[in-house]
Amino acid sequence: MKHPRKAVLAAGVLAVFCLAAAADVLVVKIQSTQIRAQAQFFAPVVAGLKAGDALTQIGVSGAWIQVRTAAGLSGWIHQSAVEVPRYALAAAAGGTRTQATASEAALAGKGFNKQVEENFRTGHAEADYASVDRMLQNKMLWSQLKEFLDQGKLGGGR
Amino acid sequence: MNARSRAARALLLAVLLAAGAACSLIDQGTEILGKAEDAVAKGDKAVKAYGKLRSAFGDFTEEEEYYIGRSVAALILGRYPALNDAALNLYVNKVGNAVALSSERPEIFAGWHFQALDTDEVNAMAAPGGMIFITKGLLKRCPDEESLALILAHEVGHVAARHGLQSIRKANVTETFTSIGLEAIKTYGPEQLARVTAAFEGVLGDIVGTLVERGYDRKLEYEADESAVLFGCRTGYDPAGLARFLKTMVGDMSAVSGKGWFKTHPAPEQRIDRVQAEIDRLQPVPAPAAVRTQRFKSAVSAVR
Repeated sequence: MKHPRKAVLAAGVLAVFCLAAAADVLVVKIQSTQIRAQAQFFAPVVAGLKAGDALTQIGVSGAWIQVRTAAGLSGWIHQSAVEVPRYALAAAAGGTRTQATASEAALAGKGFNKQVEENFRTGHAEADYASVDRMLQNKMLWSQLKEFLDQGKLGGGR
Repeated sequence: MNARSRAARALLLAVLLAAGAACSLIDQGTEILGKAEDAVAKGDKAVKAYGKLRSAFGDFTEEEEYYIGRSVAALILGRYPALNDAALNLYVNKVGNAVALSSERPEIFAGWHFQALDTDEVNAMAAPGGMIFITKGLLKRCPDEESLALILAHEVGHVAARHGLQSIRKANVTETFTSIGLEAIKTYGPEQLARVTAAFEGVLGDIVGTLVERGYDRKLEYEADESAVLFGCRTGYDPAGLARFLKTMVGDMSAVSGKGWFKTHPAPEQRIDRVQAEIDRLQPVPAPAAVRTQRFKSAVSAVR
């Protein structure tokens, strides 16, 4: 054989491509979320997730995706909370899924970030960030929202 | 040639044919391997050239949209003070989150947040990332929970479709992605930070100018009205609440001021027919419920 190293490399690459095709990788793109026991909001929470967490897609039902976490827990997540990692294909070609997650994590802090906001704030005293922070601290609890929907005879994504 | 030598030749021929086939397979294999190596090289290039791939408003990440939204919200709150009424803000948040749950983006980077503003100017605005404002002046004019829900659903529609990011001028989008550069780094040096911050200022100027001064393109406003009717129906609200509200705004004396909502939104007369057509298309639609009107009156009584 003329190129044994190439053969090993190709076999590895092809195997990884096959694995990547068989098991779709997704990452959480929002600050925090949960996977749930059924494909609906207000269903029992199976696990909490944070931005950058990698998931394996195992099924789809409408706007909901059935996923498995790195810890092996499975449940449902709304499609608006996840995305196909931008580096997935490139990292799969490089050999590991871990690289995809690492690259995504590096990317997460890139662009307009806290450092850029802080630099902007130094020259813009007219911008009221204290009120923004107070506004964002008020988190709507799922239980509050469910009670509100029930009391108002509303459906709301259920 | 004796039988023995014929057998030897046949064997040699077979070996040569097999070797030829093997060589052909090896060549094919090498070709596949070459392609595989190219794929690896292309993968590396894809990683390195990631920055080059970002060229349009849709390429902002969810986290970047959040940081843009925070600063847009800070600039809005610098112009219009927050109305610090915890009970009212909680109620507005419940109504807003209820309709956001029925949008295409029920899950957004830091969650959906709604805030009342302490001004009699009639207006509602949405910063990217799901930070939505409604003024005391507009709350006063809402006849019921259905109307409030549909107005908030209109703003949710702007965010869900990323209309705020669409209002960034192309030159500022290009400068943003050029200044951010190609390397995946978390901390900028002083020179790059100054350039990225200047791009950030340009982006904020475009969005705040659109929200507060110029208004969106009419096409986007009508699109947000369609979203409002759809999200309202999905949630269980009577979508006629939007038409009812728009009718109350026809001939409103505040329109003379040419400020806020009247400046940044198409005339209500022009929206009513379109909204009604969308409602007719979605029939049957949910009916109003007395329990909702009661809690609405109780929640907004403080600003009436």
